[in-house]
Amino acid sequence: MTTAILEARGLTKKYGNRVVVDRLDLSCRRGTVLGLLGPNGAGKTTTLRMLYGFVPPDDGSIYYAGKRFSECRAEAKRSIGVSTQDDSLDYDFTVAQNLFIYASYFRPRVDDLERRVAELLDQFELAPYANASPHVLSGGFIRRLLIARSIVHRPSVLFLDEPTTGLDPSARLDVWELIDALRAEGLAVVLTTHYMDEAERLSDELLVIHEGRNVAHGEPHHVIDSVLGDHVIIVPRSEPAREEIAAWLHARGAEQVATVLGELRVPVSKEDLAALTARFTEATWQVRPPNLDDLFIALARRNGRSV
Amino acid sequence: MSGLRSLTAVADWRSWAVFRRNALVFLRNWRTAVIPPAMEPVIFFVAFGIGFGGYIEDIAYRGVEINYATYVAAGLIAYTGFGTPYYEALYSAYVRMFYQKTWDGLLATQVELPSVVWGEILWGAVRGMVNISIVSSVVAVFDVLGVVDVKVQFLLVMPLLGFVAGCAFASFALIFTAIVPAIDHMNYPVFLIGWPLSLVSNTFFPIEPKSEALWALMQVNPVYQLAECARGLLVLGNPGSHLVGLLGSTLIFLVPCTLLSVRLTRRRVLGD
Repeated sequence: MTTAILEARGLTKKYGNRVVVDRLDLSCRRGTVLGLLGPNGAGKTTTLRMLYGFVPPDDGSIYYAGKRFSECRAEAKRSIGVSTQDDSLDYDFTVAQNLFIYASYFRPRVDDLERRVAELLDQFELAPYANASPHVLSGGFIRRLLIARSIVHRPSVLFLDEPTTGLDPSARLDVWELIDALRAEGLAVVLTTHYMDEAERLSDELLVIHEGRNVAHGEPHHVIDSVLGDHVIIVPRSEPAREEIAAWLHARGAEQVATVLGELRVPVSKEDLAALTARFTEATWQVRPPNLDDLFIALARRNGRSV
Repeated sequence: MSGLRSLTAVADWRSWAVFRRNALVFLRNWRTAVIPPAMEPVIFFVAFGIGFGGYIEDIAYRGVEINYATYVAAGLIAYTGFGTPYYEALYSAYVRMFYQKTWDGLLATQVELPSVVWGEILWGAVRGMVNISIVSSVVAVFDVLGVVDVKVQFLLVMPLLGFVAGCAFASFALIFTAIVPAIDHMNYPVFLIGWPLSLVSNTFFPIEPKSEALWALMQVNPVYQLAECARGLLVLGNPGSHLVGLLGSTLIFLVPCTLLSVRLTRRRVLGD
């Protein structure tokens, strides 16, 4: 296993008396994607903002390539690429000029910048718009330009804050391909997302944050297993014994009984599923493997929100 | 220590990278960026200096009788030197910060917040230089026409004086940029501070304060010092004590305003 290019230990951030991030540890290696996942307000964006130096942590340490961030900030920031959630493109410049001007904010200067910009315009299929204003770009192409801009200086670590929010399914798939290609090039990518399928497909490792704390960490399927268990049963709205099943499962300790559009969705263990089948012989339900949607719903319920 | 870092960031390449970014945008749109705003003091000069001035007797200035148009010429240079960086750092900087998210993009690079603030201060001051150059050119034309009587060679110095004072005005404006909740609230710094300050600083009419407190207040007002310094040079070829006054009042404004701007902008933009 290669060593982590990014490592954080005991990251903590408070706003007033509220602890937004609580002793969080994480790491990311070259050529991997670390997905940060959690409900709204879990602390994902604050974690990201600490990692790329927007806000200082109240406690804990961040290391880039083994060096403490606070002690080599300028050098570390040279090795970081950031694509923020908001569109921060410079609309006073053309597409190509956005790449040139962004590169001017880094020292040492980007080697062979002309070639680098041409290379990115090709790689991100932006070449036909090189001399146009970003105003003419669709949402998907704006996102492409934001990502291209964030790597113009050839960073080692790339932060993507909800890179596909608001994109149509086709544009999302295109962005996924680009992220996958960047991983293949050896970049360490830290990604936050609300989309479960995105996190599941793109991430080599997931870190699930809930109320600022790490609640699960590891490969996506391990994370799901550790929080939810083996299966999810879905009891349809039309099933007469639906309430009885919910009560029975709850009595057996199932805490995450969720109702989605009248359907019951309950993560269960193999043993519970066997017992349920024996107890309700006449009832009908579906069984499927748990996914990150279930995880998200479970975390939201823990957080006291309805689903 | 962090305060010192905020002040020394003026010499950091990152501040000049922010400045360069704003300068490049300006060069792309220079016609719209220069002509309409620079016309304002020219119109003021024609309306007040020539039009209104026709009804006003000569004014005694440091022992020399000058016509009102000559008096106002220096005042308009000060008015421009104040208004251009002040409004640039209020409105344009606010648009870059809030609407365009330009600062967010900058801060996602090696650029740090004090450099963003300094980049805006330096840019505001240079914008002041550009507009003062235009006003100075107009004054030179009116000198040839005999409307004003100034020592034209000193018009070349005016942009430099404007740059010095412009740094103070831009840093002052950035405080409001950091705290106004919405662009509509800019009316407060514009109408309650900008306009009064640009009018009661010996720009359009001389003020002779009776109280010592008011006199002391005028000495630390860089708009007043800029107006008097410019007038001293243009009328007498000698700024008197106002060159030192200008440098001193600029420092008195610039240092605390820059520190406060950095602090308030950090809270506004980084939420910290």
